[in-house]
Amino acid sequence: MAVKGLDIFKLSPKKNCKECGSPTCMAFCMKVAQGAVPITNCPYMSDEAIALLSEATAPPMKTIEVGGHKLGGETVLFRHEKTFVSPTRYAAALSTDMDAAAIDEAIAEMKIVDYVRIGEREYVEYVYIEDKGGDVAGLVKKVADTGRGVIVDTESTATAEAVLAVTNDVIINAATKANYADFNAIVKDKAILGVKAADPAEFYEIAEALEKAGNKKFVFDVTGATIKQTYENAVVVRRSAIKDDVKTLGYPSIVNVGKLAPGDFHLQDALAALFTVKYGSIVVLEKMSYAEALSLYGLRQNIFTDPQKPMKVEPGIYPLNGADENSPCMVTVDFALTYFLVSGEVERSKEPVNLLITDASGMSVLTAWAAGKFSSSSVQKFFEEFDIASKIKNRTLILPGKVAVMKGEIQAKLPEWNVVVGTREAVEIVKYLKDKEYEAAAAAAAASKTPVENKNVEVIVEGPIDYSKLVIPEIPHIDMGVTYQQRDPESKKFVTIGERIHCISPVIKAAMENFDAEPILKRAAEQIKAGATYLDVNIGPAESNGPELMTWAVRLLQENFNNVPLALDTANKRAIEAGIHVYNRTNGKPIVNSADAGSRISNIDLAAENDAIVVALCSADGIAKDNDERMTHCHNMLERGLSLGMEATDLWFDPLFLVVKGMQDKQMDVLNAIKMFADEGLKSTGGLSNNSNGAPKAVRPVMDSALVAMAMMQGLTSAIINPNDRRTMETIKTCDIFKNYELYSDSYLEF
Amino acid sequence: MPFQAKNQAYNAKIRPLTIGTGDKAVTMGGNNTLPFYEFDAASANAPKIGIEISDIALEEYVQPQLKEFYAGCDTIPAMAKRAQEMPGADFIVLRFESADPNGKNTSVEECAALAKEVADVVEMPIAIMGCKNVDKDAEIFNKVSEALAGRNILVLSAREENYKTVGASAALAYNQKVGAESAVDINLAKQLNTIMTQLGVSAESIAIQAGSSAAGYGFEYLASTLDRIKNAALQASDAMLQMPIVTPVSTETWVVKEATLPEEEADEGWGDAEERGINMEITTASACLACGSDAVILRHPSSVLAISKMIEALI
Repeated sequence: MAVKGLDIFKLSPKKNCKECGSPTCMAFCMKVAQGAVPITNCPYMSDEAIALLSEATAPPMKTIEVGGHKLGGETVLFRHEKTFVSPTRYAAALSTDMDAAAIDEAIAEMKIVDYVRIGEREYVEYVYIEDKGGDVAGLVKKVADTGRGVIVDTESTATAEAVLAVTNDVIINAATKANYADFNAIVKDKAILGVKAADPAEFYEIAEALEKAGNKKFVFDVTGATIKQTYENAVVVRRSAIKDDVKTLGYPSIVNVGKLAPGDFHLQDALAALFTVKYGSIVVLEKMSYAEALSLYGLRQNIFTDPQKPMKVEPGIYPLNGADENSPCMVTVDFALTYFLVSGEVERSKEPVNLLITDASGMSVLTAWAAGKFSSSSVQKFFEEFDIASKIKNRTLILPGKVAVMKGEIQAKLPEWNVVVGTREAVEIVKYLKDKEYEAAAAAAAASKTPVENKNVEVIVEGPIDYSKLVIPEIPHIDMGVTYQQRDPESKKFVTIGERIHCISPVIKAAMENFDAEPILKRAAEQIKAGATYLDVNIGPAESNGPELMTWAVRLLQENFNNVPLALDTANKRAIEAGIHVYNRTNGKPIVNSADAGSRISNIDLAAENDAIVVALCSADGIAKDNDERMTHCHNMLERGLSLGMEATDLWFDPLFLVVKGMQDKQMDVLNAIKMFADEGLKSTGGLSNNSNGAPKAVRPVMDSALVAMAMMQGLTSAIINPNDRRTMETIKTCDIFKNYELYSDSYLEF
Repeated sequence: MPFQAKNQAYNAKIRPLTIGTGDKAVTMGGNNTLPFYEFDAASANAPKIGIEISDIALEEYVQPQLKEFYAGCDTIPAMAKRAQEMPGADFIVLRFESADPNGKNTSVEECAALAKEVADVVEMPIAIMGCKNVDKDAEIFNKVSEALAGRNILVLSAREENYKTVGASAALAYNQKVGAESAVDINLAKQLNTIMTQLGVSAESIAIQAGSSAAGYGFEYLASTLDRIKNAALQASDAMLQMPIVTPVSTETWVVKEATLPEEEADEGWGDAEERGINMEITTASACLACGSDAVILRHPSSVLAISKMIEALI
């Protein structure tokens, strides 16, 4: 928790000597709290104040590393607040009073649980050894050889010393109120000390003493006399550390559910799940059966998923229901939920199918398609990378129904295959497969294929565009009764980028497929009339004819509307390049929409080479976790642009507006990011209306206009919006009046 | 200075919701702390466990231990009667799975008749679940609510598509309790509760059914939705989210492959399918309770026993 300026001020000398360079002690303390100046700039600050500040900036919970895993380091109590960082680890118990055969058997049983679930190795990560006399150190050695972390539960300092002679990578779970000083002397600076106590107050007492003795590497064994007490210990210790800033309680926890419910494996399972959700760093069970692991590790994987980062499955071939090389293929994306839904339904159908998972950055089917991550090229690349053609003999390839539009392009790129459009929803899969609907479709696809020789119209994707070879359809000139008013590209007025020419709209999609000018001109005219500064032109991935289509669209719009400035919006770089080639800059540079700090960063290079503006999304893979990450992305892209000779003001940073329905708690982050851009003199833009996605039609303009006003106050300089939304456009015009970018007159709204 | 933990009981509380009548009536909700935070304040009511009896249970409940538990029951009412004997059971959930128009399409009248037969032999409170077809469910809920008038049953659930019909019949006409079901989304949950109350259904008659999923199958969305509902209800005093949460667990956990794949078809080590199903049900139910469910619906006697033991130990 951040320390407040006023808290530091209370401890300051309050003499206003100005020696620190600030006019008053109050001003100085405020700056210290923001991290703008070091507290040591004040020659009179007390040691107490300095200690307070260093304590306040320390994380609320220590990260302890042992046995190859990090424990603790959490900053929140609920995963939706940010994310949990250190997954609960599981331990199986052994004790030295077991005979050698029993121990070997238990270790062998433990080793059976070892499998991979969504890219994560699932196994018993620790072994909990209880000292019941005998050769503890020998058993430790044996266990360490299996590659598991070790926890030793003992009351004997001699045993602890013997164990430490074997390894230092161990938790010595031994310190109690009565003996912690003795154990601390042996374990401190060597290994991790486990602390046992009856209740949170006693944990605090021992922890405080250990910290005073210079030890900050320990864990709490919160296992109490009862289940109820254990739960209280686990929750209160964690909550006090994270919410109430009691750093002395900020250490990881061990929960021994084996001790709480000896012999009752079902109850242990219930408790293991409980303490996975509520704050167990290591949960110890008497044993881990496969049946229990399957559900428990699944739960853990879910709870510890970063809410901002989608879970992904590994790309590859997943043969289901005993599929072999003669079974048909279904292709989809690597978003884990998609995988589970689709594979679950396929399994229910009991029909053998090879499920092909392609790398789509963990996006769902439609999102990935719109972002160019699930395209005929990505599918083709996948087929080459995994050598599908030689691994699978069947030639039926079933596409998700939602991307039926890709069928033609995929068929062209994979001419040997019979491409078939499958169901739109996963729930329809069982019937679809059982009825073998795809067989007739595959036969039809095979029959309709033109001979391969005729398919030689190779789309060139490398090297410079040969403009002489582009065949651009005719550009009609139609009077739509609207002219674009000439504008000063240097104007400070808010820039609205009209979003209505987008290939996701069926009307526009059809128009673009047929080079049909009128629907496109109609939407352009509406937006210009409504006062749009720029028009966005989204042609989709346009894999087969991007350069032609974009050239046609740019000329069509600019020639019909007095060189209206445009944002060129596609994942197809060559299309953007071709568009800029014919672009007229009278009313403003072209905008490349868009680059990001991840796989699309090279679009900055594209903008730099073509003296264009670029929309720079402050994200890499998935939405930025927080503003630190947003600003890191921002600075990376800024640096790249500047190094390529761009003006800083030609990078328009997009914080990524988030949907209120779902990400309400992140809205202020976005607004604060805009302020950070503005404070650095940077321009910003973004798809502002995304905030109200899914809200009722009547509510959306209210939300959009309120948000645009707040964002403009923060310094937002542009937005990608629907200009036909009058309420939002009027709000923008009014904000420009308040910002003194437009001279007021009674009828300012009319222009 | 000795450490004193901050007490964090809330001023706001979850509304208590009672189903059933007489001695066997049960009340869920009523608490003003996060789940099992007894150290903040004692819970007014422990979480409750409902036992799922599907109307196709005779054919579908094939796992050996489960079959053994219901040995000798050759009708659904007989099974429902037996289910009351499960240690830890609080109420009986009759699920009209076979009414699905895309399946057996059991008629509304047959559903109502079955409900009546079950009610005649069951003393515990009764909840009913539909077949997930919104139109058919609306009809079933209407008829069954009428047939069981006076039994104070819980109808699971009204959804955005049919809340007007279900609210008007089950809650307003027959005075039953109604679940408001949304698909793992806190905003939709609040919206549905709001429009149900605007319809005239009192907030005291509504339970939240915020969706369900099995551990490992997108459970993170459910966990966060439950966490957020409880936080909004208690911390932010959001009256439209202060209803108790009822979460069906068995309907999700007994269909995933961990529970259904026979041992001989499974990977090495998986072992007995029924045991896997029990573990899946226990893990999921425990996690739901830890995130804020005030009642869970389970199927297997071993799961019910383990979860009830845990609840008892925590309260």
